[in-house]
Amino acid sequence: MLVFRKPIQGVERPQMPADVVIVGGGPAGMACALRLAQLIDAHNSTYPDSQLSKENIYVLEKAREVGQHCLSGALLDPRSMRELLPGFEKEAPLDAEVNKEAVYFLTQKSKFKLPITPSPLRDHGNYVISLNRFVKWLGSKVEATGITIFTGFAGSELIFSDDTNEARVTGVRTDDKGVDKEGRPKSNFEPGYDLNAKVVILAEGPRGSLTKQLTDKFDLAKDANPQTYGVGVKELWEVPSGRVAKGEVIYTMGWPLTTKEYGGAWIYGGKDNIVSLGFVTGLDYPDPRLDPQHVLQEFKRHPFVAKLLEGGKMIRYGAKSMPYGGWWAVPPVAGNGWMILGDSAGFVNSARLKGIHLAIKSGMLAAETAFEALRKDDSSLATLGGFQKKVESSWIKDELWKVRNMHQGFENGFYAGMFHTALQMVTGGRGLRNRYPAKAGHEHMRMLAELPADGGAEAHLLGPAKGDGKLTFDKLTDLYHSGTKHEEDQPSHLIIHDTNICEQRCVKEYGGPCQNFCPANVYELLDDASAPNGKRISLNPSNCVHCKTCDIADPYQIITWVPPEGGGGPNYDGM
Amino acid sequence: MPDTILVVVEQREGKLNRVSWETITAGQAISAATGWPLEAAVVGASPAAIAAEVATKKLAKVYGVESPKLEPYTPDAFAAGLKQFIASKQPKLVLMPHTYQVRDFVPKLATAMGRTVISDCVRFKHENGKLLFTRQMFQGKLAADVSFTSDAPWFATFQNGAFRGDKAEAGASPAPIETATVEIADSAIRNKPREVFKEAKQAVDLTQAEIIVSVGRGIKEQKNIELAKQLADALGGDLAASRPICDSGWLPMDRQIGSSGQTVAPKLYLALGISGAIQHIVGMKGSRTIIAVNKDSEAPIFEIADYAIVGNLFDIVPPLIEEVKKAKAGG
Repeated sequence: MLVFRKPIQGVERPQMPADVVIVGGGPAGMACALRLAQLIDAHNSTYPDSQLSKENIYVLEKAREVGQHCLSGALLDPRSMRELLPGFEKEAPLDAEVNKEAVYFLTQKSKFKLPITPSPLRDHGNYVISLNRFVKWLGSKVEATGITIFTGFAGSELIFSDDTNEARVTGVRTDDKGVDKEGRPKSNFEPGYDLNAKVVILAEGPRGSLTKQLTDKFDLAKDANPQTYGVGVKELWEVPSGRVAKGEVIYTMGWPLTTKEYGGAWIYGGKDNIVSLGFVTGLDYPDPRLDPQHVLQEFKRHPFVAKLLEGGKMIRYGAKSMPYGGWWAVPPVAGNGWMILGDSAGFVNSARLKGIHLAIKSGMLAAETAFEALRKDDSSLATLGGFQKKVESSWIKDELWKVRNMHQGFENGFYAGMFHTALQMVTGGRGLRNRYPAKAGHEHMRMLAELPADGGAEAHLLGPAKGDGKLTFDKLTDLYHSGTKHEEDQPSHLIIHDTNICEQRCVKEYGGPCQNFCPANVYELLDDASAPNGKRISLNPSNCVHCKTCDIADPYQIITWVPPEGGGGPNYDGM
Repeated sequence: MPDTILVVVEQREGKLNRVSWETITAGQAISAATGWPLEAAVVGASPAAIAAEVATKKLAKVYGVESPKLEPYTPDAFAAGLKQFIASKQPKLVLMPHTYQVRDFVPKLATAMGRTVISDCVRFKHENGKLLFTRQMFQGKLAADVSFTSDAPWFATFQNGAFRGDKAEAGASPAPIETATVEIADSAIRNKPREVFKEAKQAVDLTQAEIIVSVGRGIKEQKNIELAKQLADALGGDLAASRPICDSGWLPMDRQIGSSGQTVAPKLYLALGISGAIQHIVGMKGSRTIIAVNKDSEAPIFEIADYAIVGNLFDIVPPLIEEVKKAKAGG
């Protein structure tokens, strides 16, 4: 019997007042905290008679340590960091400055280099970084200001003033600790805290669970395009020297994907012969048997890639979703008592495949607005709405506006996508019309009955990867290298709202795509003669790497990802 | 009545819990800061001996709160007895160590008196005539100063180690001891204590096992575990499992081998129906001899097995049990 996580009812929770609570200690949240501290410090030295305190500003981070759950390629566009901390290059952990880039189109056996690198993918002046090390460093800057980061504490739900549409967000409830598999308090039970905050800032990364709660409550997505996502599956390799130069950047399109899927790969050369490689698969593919972890394995088998990795060693693995619906998919980002930042808002440039610099910028702008709110002691929409305006008049919008229709152009496959992209490039992002519509990715998934039984042209991407143990790996072996770990005796934090749908419908209609899209082997359909279609859904929540793919890609939209007991999750290092 | 501080000393079956000295040290410090006299109480069926021991410390008075109903310990009797005693003495502040026993009865006691407890304190402060207690929050990342807004008596408990028991000041002369008999109605005691037992920390210690028979998903059903158990018994070994088996509740968690379970290195490790994901392998690869039975000839377990048996474990294990038994009988 599966029991799903939810806040324990009927317990008295410690109440704690707060000025600002930032949920999520990634680049957006940390930049927000740091900027806020800068503004308060500047204010306090200018106005000795009206001091503002930093003591009641908190960052909640579900990872045991700062940065542990952060994963990206990653290339950093330094624009926002130069605004936040001029001269940051001198002390931040940067692996290399990009000095060489190339884009290839791959067929099964060959590669074609694009004669010129398209301007969005020109990366000279950007830095190859490990996002989790970078955020760890940023976190140390935040802590030095006196702002408290609660590591190991997740935001489990938002607290609202009332049940109406006019409600304001009044705080965040942290996760209950010490709850067993059946949802009963254990001897070490500690109820989550109610942080009653003037301003709640959601910086949870893609598909944030509190952002989802907020979006549902206020129907925030109603005027936006549905957000579309890809999942990036990443491996870190140590390779013999001379394979990929430090600061070298390679992008590929094409193989192993067919024209029906959206996505591509990156290969970045870091220092000490460490290579970051990964494959982003758009979570709008048609075949439910497709497995993004398998896609990465197939990619590595391409002669071009296999040669780069030969004799090397895979040292880390991880996965994370990314939103690339673009400007039209960004919901309202401020309201009564709340603001949304970074990937949670969808600030990703889908043409450049970059969002870290936008996350940081959005954090800085939100900090300016939060500072206003503290100074005026008003955190209603009247004040926080300023963040919305700041975003719209900042270079975040400039950058996203030019590529506002980028991903939508690919909704009907690769060739149509290339046509629209070309058109958009010469029309300042407009293309055929100002706003291209979009469908949510999961709506593109097709039932097994409509697809060739043998997988057709996609056969090489379907089902679990076998792995040779050297170049390619099965999912569990990869997963081991994520270092993920959770308290085992806790309710499942993957909430399936109706498991009957899994067993009665999904097994027949889609064949259980959760087993395939999850890059961490959380979902399994086990043989069970007593189940209606001979299969029973089984979960391994402690395998989860917090990528949120299930919440996004499930065709019935019955999975909700919520944070597990704080402290659990992947242990990314160098990712 | 003048304001007093009362330390409730912990005893169980006539033995003083040493952590009580820490609470007395705390009480002495608060007494010095506030000027409120410090008293102590020993609660039990025959508290006299412990009361005498406690009376060696610098205290204004020691009470023996006495009733035959206080032995053996029950939360109902302690709450009822102390409620009566505290109501009659009206101390300003009641201090206790934050022990399991106190945690068991003090919420009941305070609620029965309509008062609150500030529990698990690590420090106190006396500022501008106000008594503040410091509690840890967010797993020790924050410290909160908390004060009472309700009427006395106030209840507070101190965390183990918050004060030093050896710093409890001795009195110049023994403190006077007074016996306070409390009446506890039988009907007030709803708990019936049974024999005290210690829960085994770990029922099995697989790290010490010489022979381990381990089962994986290939065992198919819970009832088939018996087969593996028979083999383990025949070999004189212990039964273990991979994660899915323990996760399904077919075997207890303490028998799980692997990255989220135990790491073992027996002389013989027999893996039945275990595919050998790396998460399992890291927990047993140090075994001296590994025998693996699996019907999938490509199962990764075979890469580290010394003896690989490709086949259905239900065909292989029963005759194996017979052979082991025969060999043992013959040998």
